Amino acid sequence: MDKNTATEKNTTIIKNATCTFCGCVCDDMELTVDLDEKCIIKSKNACVLGKAWFSEHSVDESRPVALIDGKEASLEDAIEEAAQILVNARFPIIYGLSDTTSEAQRQAVAMADYLSANIDSTSSVCHGPTGMGLQGVGEPTTTLGEVKNRADMVVYWGCNPTDCHPRLSTHFTVMPKGMYIPNGRKDRTVINVDIRSTSTTNIADLFVQLKPGSDYELLSALRSISRGRRLNPSIEEQTGVPMATIEDVAHRLMSCNYGILFFGMGLTMTRGRHYNTGALHLLAADLNEHTHFVVKPARGHGNVTGADTVMSWQTGYPFGVNFNRGYPRHEPGEFTTTDILVRGEADAACIIASDPIANFARPAIEHLKKIPVISFDPKPTPTSQIARVALTTACYGINVPGTVYRMDDIPIPLRPAFESPFPSDLDILKPLTERIRELKAH
Amino acid sequence: MKLTLHTAPEVPLEAEVIGPTSLNGLTEAEVSALTVHHGNRKEALGEFFTVTGKMNGRLELEGDLSFVKLLGKGMSGGQMIIDGNVSGHLGVGMSGGRIVVNGNAQDWVGEDMKGGSIIIKGNAGHMVGCVVRGAEVGMQGGEIIVHGNCKNEAGGGLRRGLIAIGGNSGDFTGLNMLAGSIFVLGEMGIRTGAGMKRGSIVSMKPAQMLPTFSYSCTYQPIFLRFYLNYLRELGLVIDDAWLTGSYQRWCGDSIELNKGEILLYHS
Repeated sequence: MDKNTATEKNTTIIKNATCTFCGCVCDDMELTVDLDEKCIIKSKNACVLGKAWFSEHSVDESRPVALIDGKEASLEDAIEEAAQILVNARFPIIYGLSDTTSEAQRQAVAMADYLSANIDSTSSVCHGPTGMGLQGVGEPTTTLGEVKNRADMVVYWGCNPTDCHPRLSTHFTVMPKGMYIPNGRKDRTVINVDIRSTSTTNIADLFVQLKPGSDYELLSALRSISRGRRLNPSIEEQTGVPMATIEDVAHRLMSCNYGILFFGMGLTMTRGRHYNTGALHLLAADLNEHTHFVVKPARGHGNVTGADTVMSWQTGYPFGVNFNRGYPRHEPGEFTTTDILVRGEADAACIIASDPIANFARPAIEHLKKIPVISFDPKPTPTSQIARVALTTACYGINVPGTVYRMDDIPIPLRPAFESPFPSDLDILKPLTERIRELKAH
Repeated sequence: MKLTLHTAPEVPLEAEVIGPTSLNGLTEAEVSALTVHHGNRKEALGEFFTVTGKMNGRLELEGDLSFVKLLGKGMSGGQMIIDGNVSGHLGVGMSGGRIVVNGNAQDWVGEDMKGGSIIIKGNAGHMVGCVVRGAEVGMQGGEIIVHGNCKNEAGGGLRRGLIAIGGNSGDFTGLNMLAGSIFVLGEMGIRTGAGMKRGSIVSMKPAQMLPTFSYSCTYQPIFLRFYLNYLRELGLVIDDAWLTGSYQRWCGDSIELNKGEILLYHS
């Protein structure tokens, strides 16, 4: 950590800090920290989202470290209560994990193993279909550094990085000059495919507007052209895109030197889900017959990629993993959290750094309210408010060191700005897992 | 032999031991002592079911089994008659015998099935006779007859065998199909036959075709009469007009082999 003490206030400057707001995980932040007030007063290089992330995470020391049934409790009592709940459950679920460090994620998988529990990350309601798609067809992958230095064709399909990942285009994919892209933006073509115009459309050379829910059809059409196959003219009516435009896009994709397909929840969470993403991966595979093409999901939360990565190397599967039988099993739809809750199957839940009460479908929320919940969160949330055991944690990246994975699966170290009086997720998960082991041994 | 549910499981019960093949030759006491998985605990089958009668190739199950998974897993013969709804993975990997469900079934009916028949009198969930995720070859033989509706991905990766849906099916019917036959007497969702290599999908209602399918002709396929008469014998409602009617034939999926066919009843 590179700290320079400033003169007037009791401040510190943290150079090369990492922003954990979105999947870009920019690691060139320069944070000015007020050590008395325990807050970040300036965040140089951060985008508008990053600035809000850093400025909003001051520490409220008056909050209790733990609540049991809404009453203030010690951390030790809370861990004991949480361990008892989880050990006594027949179908405990662990969910969340996308806004915490990979060290904590690894510990959560260990805990799931000891508990014979079900573990799932927010991927299952986000880019889970991406994992399922690439499991079926393979992944032509890359890193953002490679994109920066080589990509002369950037496609944003069903995503809006200008608003959601503001530095993706400016720092990695579109604007910067690269080794083989000497003129930066001028050397690149940007195509935006979406059902409506967004802020990303403004930076695109070509905007392809398709009818909602026709992504799979358009992807099939592009694959068909790239394979030299016949295409039914009904494609125009089905997608709302003229044949000439489809052929133009296909020609541009086939004739570039290095292309990248970025995609978001416009593909993963619309009708067709994992087959949409599978079709996109297959399009990239087909285009590799003509040129070099790769695919990357524009991941949302700071370490949701880490959740998939850690779970994959710990269990073999990226999300929706069940240990009920003592070994990991993966079945989206069966072992994914919303589905489990909607069917009313779980009898206890441990929610780590996530807020399902604010986001899940109504029947899932109703079931979650019926069972004992343990929540880990730096802030009060609707989930922490219904939790039997609510634990206050320190915020990763701002107070907690560790590792997070960027959207291109690159691990990035965190450089925290200031210390928090609250424990990290890992600080709680370690003794909790140990206590679970003790209880299970008896 | 009859198994009657006396205590409903609070969390999913994985009971792959329940099936005419696996219970063959066992006494009531031995069946009651078999291990089932109640969430993350092992418990005795008798904790949930009352076991009566002698096993003579016919197994009856009664009660709301909507939390009971993996019934009839790997069965190779005999009959299993279920009065009530069942959870997922019914008849996984079965190679023979017959399962009749007088109720609804959830996802993954007949997953990785190789032979025998499954008849669902109610509705079925997603992935009827569908390929296991990550594999290429799905159902390799046998029959699945659903009298009601089913959801998405029916017959995905189908290699051989017959799937007949009396009602409607969801999206991606016959996805990545390799061969075999799928009949949907009601309406199909979108993207039927996506990625199919060979095989036949037949529907009695109009359907939206993917742009990678091409219209071939309208004709009267004689072989359909044999199928439809067979389905009528199995209890599905078959209109006489379908037996002699004309069908639109669509070929696809052109991204793959383009040797699959979708037959849509025309008039």
